[in-house]
Amino acid sequence: MSASKTMYRSDKLLYYSLLPFAAIVIAAFIMLFAILGYVSAPALRKYGISLFTTTKWAPNEANPSKSVYGLLAPLFGTLVSSAIAVLLALPVTVSIVLVIEEYSPERLRELIGSIIEVMAGLPTIVYGLWGLEVLAPFLREHVYSPLHQLLGFIPLFSCKPITGFNLATAGVLLSIMILPYMVAVARDAYRSIPFTYKEAALTIGATRYEYAKIMMGLAKPGIIAAALLGFGRAAGETVAVALVVGNVPLVSGCLFKPAYTISSLIANQFSMAPLYPYMMSVLFTGGLVLLLIGMAANTVAVIMIARARKRLG
Amino acid sequence: MADPRIIKEKIFLVTIFALTILGILPVFHVLAEVIIKGSEAIAKHGLGILTSTSNGILASLVGSAILSILASLLGIPLAIAAGLFVAEFSDTKLAKITRVVSRSLLEVPTVLLGMLVYIIMVVPMGSFSLLAGAIALALVMLPYVMVHVEQAIESVPPIYREAGYSIGMTRAEVLLGVVAGIARRGIATGVLMGFAKAMGETAPLLFTIGAARTTLPCSHSIPLANVLDPGDAVPLMIFQYAQMPQKMYHDMAWAGSLILVAAFLAVFIAVRLLVKEVKT
Repeated sequence: MSASKTMYRSDKLLYYSLLPFAAIVIAAFIMLFAILGYVSAPALRKYGISLFTTTKWAPNEANPSKSVYGLLAPLFGTLVSSAIAVLLALPVTVSIVLVIEEYSPERLRELIGSIIEVMAGLPTIVYGLWGLEVLAPFLREHVYSPLHQLLGFIPLFSCKPITGFNLATAGVLLSIMILPYMVAVARDAYRSIPFTYKEAALTIGATRYEYAKIMMGLAKPGIIAAALLGFGRAAGETVAVALVVGNVPLVSGCLFKPAYTISSLIANQFSMAPLYPYMMSVLFTGGLVLLLIGMAANTVAVIMIARARKRLG
Repeated sequence: MADPRIIKEKIFLVTIFALTILGILPVFHVLAEVIIKGSEAIAKHGLGILTSTSNGILASLVGSAILSILASLLGIPLAIAAGLFVAEFSDTKLAKITRVVSRSLLEVPTVLLGMLVYIIMVVPMGSFSLLAGAIALALVMLPYVMVHVEQAIESVPPIYREAGYSIGMTRAEVLLGVVAGIARRGIATGVLMGFAKAMGETAPLLFTIGAARTTLPCSHSIPLANVLDPGDAVPLMIFQYAQMPQKMYHDMAWAGSLILVAAFLAVFIAVRLLVKEVKT
């Protein structure tokens, strides 16, 4: 390492005694990619691109080598449920950031901040249990059924909501779960707006609405970063989604049909995967896709945040 | 006729306050449901629901306690050392890489860490074990604790370092004796947050601990060797019991949620008190 050349001997000792721990962190990360890639390889070789273009999930018990696996439905479910979650959470995120940063007295600001922190830290399985027993029946009764009756001509609402376990419920539950993360990221971005911009907006006599519009324009890269990180979180969430999404490999334009996500597929199928050749490998391919989605969202978000910092100086 | 700009402003304010309330309302409902349904379950089945392995969740409670402690023992020293490295040698290439990697680990879906540990530990050892689960949880908490440690170290004003150097202390003495001491509350906050994270995670345990919920992990004569036994955890129990049709299992899931939420809130309040003391 270049810096270690300029260090004293005792400093080098500190450097080299802490270095192995940093190396373990890096090694764990590399190992994650390597293992996911290694175990995925047989499935990618056998099924190729059809793994992502077919929906059939048919492990064949009598003749395991005739099993057919397609990840299209879970991939579709992951992307759609995460997109719903971000779309629902985004306006709420922006509102909360504005209320906390601009329109609350000190006490209220701290209170809302604490509530958001509890939201972020609450074990995800608790959201899952609540989603299963409370949210799903409530949405079916009071939201999906009226929507289907009134707006059934729109394809999104065209199918009868038989159970509350479907793509829409997964999206709503995820939006609640990713909200605190999105607020944290967006709030950081909002705070990094230099004070002179705020003064400038106020001196030209902007109403609070116009002021907020200007500020949101300035914080836009940070808001986009919040949406991306929220999307990544939603895509990777496992147990809570597995309890409410319905777990049926369907690709449908209707939000009230049960669906699957990659992570819930992994959670449900992993225990029997060792019994079938290639199934484990297919599930790891799904895992690899999740990892790539998460990393892509993270990388773009980091770049957006860095750019925003640079632009605002 | 009122100014349309003012009307717009009014509508805007009402909307953002309404959305804020809508956004934070669900968590209150979640907490209320957990408290009501959890205490109802305990009232209905008696304390046996917590203290029995056959008709209760004792094995899950014991397993969760072992897992959180073991994961902390494995993950926290590693996270603190790596966090110190990143903060102290922030100008070196390796520290920069470590920082980027730890931020990326933060965004890795936790279920993948369970899959990783399944391949590198469960398959070679031939059985599920609490140790495998604890390693997966240690990986989950690692980046969280690291972020807190880094921030705590970086927030110490440079004047303290300079004071240390000026009396001839080495870099190690300054970092461990002076800076880490001043940053200890921040580090403790990170440790507690990591512990809470490990306690509540489900996905990394799906393929690592084996959900052994009728027996306690005590088949070995040497106590420490019992971590090689399969075990259970409260979040995993909730996940699996929630999918059962019988009411009894749902009651156990709610009772477990109550314990889990109570434990989380206890840690959360501890963190709050720590942070408050720093401010004053």
